Amino acid sequence: MQVAQEAASAAVGSGERRRARRRGAWRRRRLVLLLMSPWLVGFSVFFGYPLVMSAYLSLNHYDLLSPPRWVGLANYRYLFTVDPQTWTAVKNTLWLIAVMVPLQVLFAFGIALLLARARAGVGVFRTIFYLPALAPPVAATLGFVYILNPATGPVNTILSHLGIQGPLWFQDPAWSKPSLVALGLWGIGNTMIIFLAAVLDVPRQLYESAEIDGAGPLQRLRWVTLPTISPVILFAVILGVIQGLQYFTQAYVAAGVAAGQASQAADVTAVSLGYPQDSTLFYPVLLYQHGFTDFQMGYASAMAVLLLAVSFAVTLVIVVNSRRWVHVGVAR
Amino acid sequence: MAAVEVAAPLVRRRPPARVRRQRLLIAVANHSLLIAAAIAFVAPFIFITLTALMTNDQALSSHLWPHPFAWHNFISVFTKAPLWRWTLNTLEYSVLATIGVVLSSVPVAYALARLRWRGRQVAFMVVLVALMLPPQVTVVPLYVMWAKFHPFGFNFIGTLWPVIIPNWFGDAFSIFLLRQFFLTIPEEYMDAARVDGCGELRILMTVVVRLVKPAIAAVALFSFLYTFNDFFLPLLYTGESAHHWVLSIGLSEFRSLHQVQWNLTMAATLLVMAPVIVLFFLAQRAFVEGVTLTGVKG
Amino acid sequence: MKRVAGAVALLAALVLALTTAGVAGGARSGGQATGQRAAATQLTVWVGWSARELGVFNKVAAEYDKAHPDVTVKVVGSINDQKIVAAIRAGTAPDVVSSFNSYNVGVYCGTGGWIDLTSYLEQSKISVSQFPPATQYYTQYGGKRCALPLLADTYGLYYNKALFAKAGIASPPKTIAELTADAKKLTVRNPDGSLKVVGFDPFIGFYENVPERWVTAFGGKWNDAQGHAILASQPGWTKWLTWMKSLIDWYGYNNLVRFQAGLGDEFSASNAFEAGKVAMNLDGEWRVAFIQAEHPTLDYGTAPMPTNDPSLYGSGYINGTIIGIPKNGKHTAQAWDLVKYLTTNDHALAELSNGLRNVPSTTASTHSKELTPDAHFATFLKVFANPKSSTSPIMASGVSYTNAVQSFVTKWQAGSVKNLASALKTLDSQLDAQVKQAGGGVP
Repeated sequence: MQVAQEAASAAVGSGERRRARRRGAWRRRRLVLLLMSPWLVGFSVFFGYPLVMSAYLSLNHYDLLSPPRWVGLANYRYLFTVDPQTWTAVKNTLWLIAVMVPLQVLFAFGIALLLARARAGVGVFRTIFYLPALAPPVAATLGFVYILNPATGPVNTILSHLGIQGPLWFQDPAWSKPSLVALGLWGIGNTMIIFLAAVLDVPRQLYESAEIDGAGPLQRLRWVTLPTISPVILFAVILGVIQGLQYFTQAYVAAGVAAGQASQAADVTAVSLGYPQDSTLFYPVLLYQHGFTDFQMGYASAMAVLLLAVSFAVTLVIVVNSRRWVHVGVAR
Repeated sequence: MAAVEVAAPLVRRRPPARVRRQRLLIAVANHSLLIAAAIAFVAPFIFITLTALMTNDQALSSHLWPHPFAWHNFISVFTKAPLWRWTLNTLEYSVLATIGVVLSSVPVAYALARLRWRGRQVAFMVVLVALMLPPQVTVVPLYVMWAKFHPFGFNFIGTLWPVIIPNWFGDAFSIFLLRQFFLTIPEEYMDAARVDGCGELRILMTVVVRLVKPAIAAVALFSFLYTFNDFFLPLLYTGESAHHWVLSIGLSEFRSLHQVQWNLTMAATLLVMAPVIVLFFLAQRAFVEGVTLTGVKG
Repeated sequence: MKRVAGAVALLAALVLALTTAGVAGGARSGGQATGQRAAATQLTVWVGWSARELGVFNKVAAEYDKAHPDVTVKVVGSINDQKIVAAIRAGTAPDVVSSFNSYNVGVYCGTGGWIDLTSYLEQSKISVSQFPPATQYYTQYGGKRCALPLLADTYGLYYNKALFAKAGIASPPKTIAELTADAKKLTVRNPDGSLKVVGFDPFIGFYENVPERWVTAFGGKWNDAQGHAILASQPGWTKWLTWMKSLIDWYGYNNLVRFQAGLGDEFSASNAFEAGKVAMNLDGEWRVAFIQAEHPTLDYGTAPMPTNDPSLYGSGYINGTIIGIPKNGKHTAQAWDLVKYLTTNDHALAELSNGLRNVPSTTASTHSKELTPDAHFATFLKVFANPKSSTSPIMASGVSYTNAVQSFVTKWQAGSVKNLASALKTLDSQLDAQVKQAGGGVP
């Protein structure tokens, strides 16, 4: 009798417990939903839906003034085989990523190393190196275009006093991208601070044991510092690549100003984009031109789909490759 | 007989003169490089300031030093262009967007970090993916969407609302950063609060938020900075509606109707840079800590 | 923490309050205006002019306002084509729009962004023959006339008489050969070889130098009867491009770029021609008014552009401001009345012409007694009346068409193009593909 009662109560108890567990799980799910709701809504409306629409619009001819007209793969055919500017834009963007990202990482790392060793006035130096990163990109670009004016700018004036004829900077297709790289290097303050913190975080014991093993300063750099901060290097590289794939503001402003066109209503903006001679025509700039200056939204969507594929591929390559040289979880 | 090795106590002797000289040379070289780099970094600021103090004709010539100092340029800038209006627009965008980012990203990051649920990893991967993709990928359909959406006859194109509103629905970078930081909170704190009978939401709002204050400060700071300097999205939506221009757009279009006055443009450039630099000096520690956070936890 | 939260909440409330006040205030003021004058419809007009020129247009608009108590005219200046298209796309277009040039008529008419005015013209019994043929061409596309000309622009040669006297040149050049010789005579170099004064700058992209304004002097055509690009087969193009490059090379390409980087902005008082840095310049008829306002003591003259073929001398390039009504407008009838007034009323056109020094766009108004005579300006009236003057092609891809050609020419003048003939053929096929793409066809 008692056994039966116990069994009965046990059965009831487990049923209740199961129900309570289910209630708890349901409450937790509701909580998660509540907390994630802003992102869920935002993601669907501002990210998921546009991605799908981009793919759809890329198969249409759409200028927003009349309804979309189905053209199948015509936009892609034009993009890959006919448009004379596509490959220029792709090359420019790839050039920028291949040149600017390594230089930025090297420069930031180099300055961080110097700062880590310095004894006096570190705070002042750190401020000096960080401030330009705070300058709004438009302001910094305007400043640089003015300073690098080939005829009257201070840089060429000083160079001429030294007997060197300065290059045409933003007016010369061979120098316009390097000028943009210089502008990019001026603003590496953020990356530099991250490197500084990482370098300072490397445990002294590692250096000391390396020293005891007879490692010189260069070897200590190669075998202690670099591996320890490799996650930060990866982070900087990924950040640099992402920024390179979106590079728009500086190119847009520099080209417009260097082309010297007054913002008068004759509006030949499309001609100044990529000035001089398409050398600063990066992929996002071309996308903007086709979508928002030439009224070709279907075509711009095709460009966007291509950009999506390339971004995916590039980040995948970097992340997969990183396992080879990034050391995660160094003993502290 | 077992030889017992006794570790000799480490005596820090004064290193020989040769080594000391070597270290001094390295320090001098180090500092020289730093000074050279610092000069290169400060030079543009100096040139910009000097130009801002020149007269227009001087700015067009190759003179390096202003003769006389045109201090009134900074005031003329305000009469030449509606700088106050632009500042107001920029603040409206930055403040509203920053508040939205913080309010919407914290709960999401908490759910991703501290609650266990099916699909959590997938959601996090999706956040990462959203982080990596350039805005140009979604910009065309978004523009079309805002152009066609007219609730109560209100036109979104030409205002800053299409740029502000998405920030109230979570920002990938902030979510990522906050989630990394949330992961570092020991479970004991939360268990203690749970034992006290707090519901999950209360735990979030009282205990956790207080613990991640530096991360929230960093997120707010970066959000503010990013939106303050934003050019592309405002250009898209308010490019043709000068009344709603933000400072970046106004500055790029700062050609006082048919004239490019470089001295005034440089003065305006300085004025636009000023608020952020002032903010930096006031909140220097928060800045540096915040930047470090992104790199170290990222 | 609570303090911070409180401060943040206060700041947010303040910002929100300011912005909603702005929105509400705007709506309120609009309501007030219609409340005060019971039936007054507000017509918004977008124009490209700004500063001094905008003032001239405002005066004419105010006159219309006074004469028509049932409408109030609100003028917005500094408009460009991009703004117009963006507004039409977003549905925020005004009642009347005006653009400085006709490049995008192909897009406006083709997509219906600007409405077809043919029926309105018929209703108001306005014949298009009162507009000269060139202006008729650039205000319609695909059989639809979606715009009317509002003042025209013609281009000619401005020359500095003082510098001419110093170099011993008696009269302005009439042929390209004379232009080249005079340009070389008038050029002054600094001791280090850089340019101090340039006789004539043929650089495409400098001020008003764009291909369409040059190829008229060489008699080159853009399209054949089917609309295909024929740049490669037209000798005018090759002749112009070869001549232009040889003159640029004489200056030195880098010297010229460096020189141009130090010049004043085109529409500032430091304009290179007005400042005497360039002795001769291709410019539009409005420059007369600018010189009058900024450098009244400048000793200069105007003449038609030199041409390669002497029989073409006296002609030039014509384009002009156009005006139309965007679709989905709310007050089309009253908008049409305003457009009609601005484009056909002799008094309005004469006033605008006098103030802006633009060419009045109806044949009748060019003879109006209200026009103040000006020796410099007379040249441009003659160019406008010359039957051989030509204009840009109107294509479905809008301004991208001429932009593509300009892009090519800038590469050519920099020396990046090796074989001109084959490059022009490639350009032709690219232009055709571009038009097909814009029309939505398969390339």
